[in-house]
Amino acid sequence: MSARPIASVAIAGGGIAGYAAAVALRKRMPKVTVSIIDTPPPADSMIDAVGAMLPSARGFHGDVGIPEVELIQKLGASMRLGTQFVGWADRRADYVHAYGDYGQPFGGASFHLHWVRAMLQGMAPAPFDAYSAAAMMGRGGRFVPPPDGDQHPLGGYEYGLHIDPIRYRGMLRGYAAHLGVSRYDGSVVAVHLDPADGRISGVALADGTTLSADLYIDATGPARTLHRALGTGFEEWSRWLFVDRFLVGTVPPTGEPPVLDRIAAHPAGWLWSGGSLTGMQHGFAYASAAVGDGKAARILRGATTLDTDAPPATLAPGRLVDPWVRNCVAIGDAAVTCEPLEFTGLHLVHSAIDRIAAKLPGTDFSRVELWDYNREANAEVDRVRDFLIAHYATAARPNDPLWRAAALAALPDSLSHTLSLFAERGRLPVYEEETFSRHSWAAILLGQGLIPRRADGLAVAVPAQHAGAAMTRLRDQIAAAVAQLPPSGAYLRHILDGARR
Amino acid sequence: MGLATKANAEAKPISKVVVVGGGTAGWMAAAALVSLLPGAFTLTLVESEAIGIVGVGEATLPHIRAFNERLGIDEAEFMSATRGTFKLGIEFADWGAIGDSYIHPFGTFGHGGADVNFHQYWLRLKQAAIPVPKLDTVSMGVMVARGSRFSRPDSDPQSIASTFGYAYQFDATLYAPFLRSLAERRGATRIEGKIVGVERLADGDIRAVVMEDGTLVEGDLFIDCSGFRSLLLGETLDEPFEDWSQWLPCDRAVAVPCRTGGEITPYTSAIAMPAGWRWRIPLQHRTGNGYVYSSAHLSDDEARRALLAAIEGEPLAEPRMLRFKAGRRRRSWVRNCIGIGLASGFLEPLESTSIYLVQAGITALVELFPDGRDSRVDRDEFNRLIDMEYDRIRDFLILHYHATTRSDSPFWDQMRTMTVPETLAEKMELFRRRGRVVKYREGVFLDASWVAVYLGQGVIPEGHDLRADAPPAEAVVRAIDSLAHEIDTRVNAMPSHADYIARHCAMRDAA
Repeated sequence: MSARPIASVAIAGGGIAGYAAAVALRKRMPKVTVSIIDTPPPADSMIDAVGAMLPSARGFHGDVGIPEVELIQKLGASMRLGTQFVGWADRRADYVHAYGDYGQPFGGASFHLHWVRAMLQGMAPAPFDAYSAAAMMGRGGRFVPPPDGDQHPLGGYEYGLHIDPIRYRGMLRGYAAHLGVSRYDGSVVAVHLDPADGRISGVALADGTTLSADLYIDATGPARTLHRALGTGFEEWSRWLFVDRFLVGTVPPTGEPPVLDRIAAHPAGWLWSGGSLTGMQHGFAYASAAVGDGKAARILRGATTLDTDAPPATLAPGRLVDPWVRNCVAIGDAAVTCEPLEFTGLHLVHSAIDRIAAKLPGTDFSRVELWDYNREANAEVDRVRDFLIAHYATAARPNDPLWRAAALAALPDSLSHTLSLFAERGRLPVYEEETFSRHSWAAILLGQGLIPRRADGLAVAVPAQHAGAAMTRLRDQIAAAVAQLPPSGAYLRHILDGARR
Repeated sequence: MGLATKANAEAKPISKVVVVGGGTAGWMAAAALVSLLPGAFTLTLVESEAIGIVGVGEATLPHIRAFNERLGIDEAEFMSATRGTFKLGIEFADWGAIGDSYIHPFGTFGHGGADVNFHQYWLRLKQAAIPVPKLDTVSMGVMVARGSRFSRPDSDPQSIASTFGYAYQFDATLYAPFLRSLAERRGATRIEGKIVGVERLADGDIRAVVMEDGTLVEGDLFIDCSGFRSLLLGETLDEPFEDWSQWLPCDRAVAVPCRTGGEITPYTSAIAMPAGWRWRIPLQHRTGNGYVYSSAHLSDDEARRALLAAIEGEPLAEPRMLRFKAGRRRRSWVRNCIGIGLASGFLEPLESTSIYLVQAGITALVELFPDGRDSRVDRDEFNRLIDMEYDRIRDFLILHYHATTRSDSPFWDQMRTMTVPETLAEKMELFRRRGRVVKYREGVFLDASWVAVYLGQGVIPEGHDLRADAPPAEAVVRAIDSLAHEIDTRVNAMPSHADYIARHCAMRDAA
C-alpha cells in the first residue's frame, strides 16, 4: 500500500488565491482539514488588484456553490464579454477579443481560414470581430446570457465577470469560515524544514504559533515565502514582457458597467479600464525603464478621472521552475507572476486548485505524481505566457522603441512555432493545457494584423462566391440579432430586481 | 516582427501529385486528396497488379467513420461492398495471465466526461473491501460487445447509450477498389505498371518515377504508399528507420481466412500466444485470422501450424507470410515526398492502428498541403504531428506486452522483464499509485482506453483519487448498481449484431 493519504492542508496567504483554495478543497475533499494563515494580500498581488475574471471563474463558482446572482446582487458584480484592444497595431482599427466563436467552420475549414482567404483574394471581408456575436454584443454594449444548447445561429460564447476584488475576497473569507476552514491571524515569520528530507515541517507565525500540515499551499503572492525557504528556482520572462509596474485605482461608477474591458497601447505599456456596478477600475501597466512612477501616475490621472497617490505594484514576470516541490505547492502570484493583460491571474489560480484536487498525491509525495502535476501546470502557464507575448510580438508600433524591441525579441520555441505556422497559412497548433481557444488566438493575431502569407487549400476549395456569401450572411445575421438585444444594463436590472422581490 | 516568413520566391508550385502504390493507403490518399482539394492539382496513382497488397482483413478505429463521411461515403453501401461488420472494441484474451479476458471498448466506463473518472469511485469501493461488480458492467461499450448486439449510439449526450463508439471490420482488399472507383470518378488517373527507377532533380527532389516500359511519371509532390518497401522515402531518399524492435520484437505474421465457426462478434479478438498474439476479425462472409510472432522465438512452420490449429473453421486460402519491423522513418515527409502508411512506419495491428495511421497522415497532409516543393513550415509541422501519433501508440502497444504475469515461454519472460521507455514507465507508475492516466491533448487513445488495459492486465492502483471519497459509500454502490441495471436493460433491447447487419448493410452476394 502506498503512503497515507493527505489529511491536512495549511494555506499560507489570505488573498483571493488562498481563500479560493480553502473553499474548493473543503468542498471537494470533505475529509481533509484546511487551515489558512490570513495574511492580507500584499500590494503587488495582481489577483487581489484586478477585478476582471475570465469565464472559467463562473465554472469555479458553480463547482463550489457560489450563486452568480448573489455575486451580482450582493457584491455588485457585472458581466464581461471580452476586451477591446486599442492602438496595438499601427493604423489598424481596434479589435475585440471576445470569449466565443468567431464564425463557424464550413467546407472542412475553420472560419478564420475563410476570412484569411477573403482578405488575401481582395474580397474585402468585414473586420474579423464582425463575425463574432460576443464581440459585436460587446461593441454594442448589449448582453444576454448564452442560450442553452450549442445550436445557436450566432455561435457559442461565454462571459466572465467583473467584481470588486476587496469585496470578493471578503465573501470568500466568510464562505471559508462557514465551510470549517481554520483561520490563523498574522503572517509566516519562519519556515521550518525537516533536515532529513527537506520537507516543510511547520510554519511559524508572528504570535509564536507553529502550524503543521501534510501539505502546504504557498499563496503568499510574489514573495513566495514558502518556496523561497525551499530554494525553488524562478524562471524570468522579462526579456519578452517589458511591463514591470502596475498602477491601479477605482472610481465610483458613472452609468452602466461596460461589458468589454478596454486596453489601449501606450508608448510605455498599456492603459486599462473596466468595472462593475460598484466602480470603474483604471490601471496603467508600464515599463519603469520608459517612464518614472510619478509621470506614470500623471499619465493615468490624465487619461481617467482617477485620483490616486498609491504607489504602483512592482512586477517581475515569470514562473517557478516547478510549482510543486516536496510537500509544498504554489498557486497564484506565488507560482506565476504576469501582467493582467488577458486577466489570466485568477484563471490560473482556479486551474491550479482543480489540478491539486485531481492529482493530490499521498504523503510520500512521490516523484512521478509531482512530475505529472508540474508537467501539466508548467505547460498551461507557458502557453498563457505565449499568448501574452503574442500580443507584443505581433503588435505594430514602429515609433515606440520599447515596442519595437519587443517585436524583435527571440521568442520561446512554442510561440515561435505557433506564429510561423500561423504566418504561413493561418494554421494554429493546439498545445497541451491550452487556456485560450483557437478562436481567441485567431482573434488577437488577425486583430493585430498578422495576415498569413497564403490561403489555406481547404478554404480555397470552396468557390469564392459561396464563401463570400456565407460570410456576408453570417455577419448580417449577427448584426441584425445583436441590434435586437437589450442593453447590458437591462440584464443586470433584471437580476437586481429579483433580489428586491 | 521577427519571424521567418520569407515569401516563396521560387514557389515551385504543386500542380502534379503522384501517389506511388495502390492498396489501402494509396487509394485512401488519392480519394481524399481529389475529394477535399478538388481542382488544386492533377493526381496520378501508379500501381501494379503484380504487387499484392498487405490488407488481410482490417479492423479499424472509430476515426474511419469521419474519414468516410468527409468523402461522402454512404455507410451501408460501404459495409455491403467491403463485407464489413461493426466493431465496438477489442477483446484481449490471455494477456495479463492465461485465462484472462477483457474488452478495450470504444467508449467510457460510466457516463464519462465527469471531473472524477468513474473508475475512481469503483477503486474506492474495492479498496474499502466493499463488494462491487466488475467495472465492465458500467461500460455500455463492453456490455454491448459481450452481448454480441449492435445498434447505433444515441445522439443525446445525456443518454448512457451515447457513451460508446464503433468502427468497422472489413475486407481491405475490397476497400481499396471501392475507393478507387470513387477517386477515379472524381478525377484521379490510374497508371498500371511496375516502377523500375526514380529520377531526381538537381536540387535532390524527386522529379519522376520510371515505369517498366520506360515512360516517366513526373510530379511535383510524391506520396509514397509503396508499403513496407518504402520505395521513395526509404530506398530513394534514404530516410533512416528508427527501430523499435527492442520493445516490440514481433517481426512476422502468418495470416489465413477461415469459415466463421462461431458468432460474428461486434469486436476484434487479440489472443496472446506463446510467441506473440493471434487476431480474429469476423467479417460478413468469413473470419480473418493471423499470428503475429517473434521470429527469434518461433519458426515460420511452427507459427503456421499453431495458427491452423487455433482457427475456428475450415481455412479458405493458403496461409500468407508477412515480414516487418516495428518502428518508423525518422521523418515521414522529406523533400517533396510524403510517406503514408507502411512506407512511413509500422506498428503491429494489436490496437487496429494501421488504417488510423494512414488516415492521420492523409488528414495532416490535407491540412498542411504545401504550395510549393520547399514548404518547410508545412513539412516540419506534418512530421511533428505524425511522430507524436507513432510515439504515443508505441507506448500503448508496449504496455500490452509488459503488463503481464505470464512466464510460460521465453517470449513472455522477455516481455515481462524488459526495460520499457521512460515515457511508459512513468505512465504505469502513475496509474499504480492512484489510478491516474497521464493526460494528453492529442493522441488517439484516451483515458478509458488506458484504464481498460491497465485494469484488464492487472495493473491495479494502490490508492485512489480523494475526490471520489466525497459521496457516501452507499450512494456510490447504489449508483453503480443502477447504472449497471440500466445498461443491462438497454443492451437486452438491442438487436443482435448479425440481425442488424442483415437488416441494414448485408453484402449483396455470398462469396
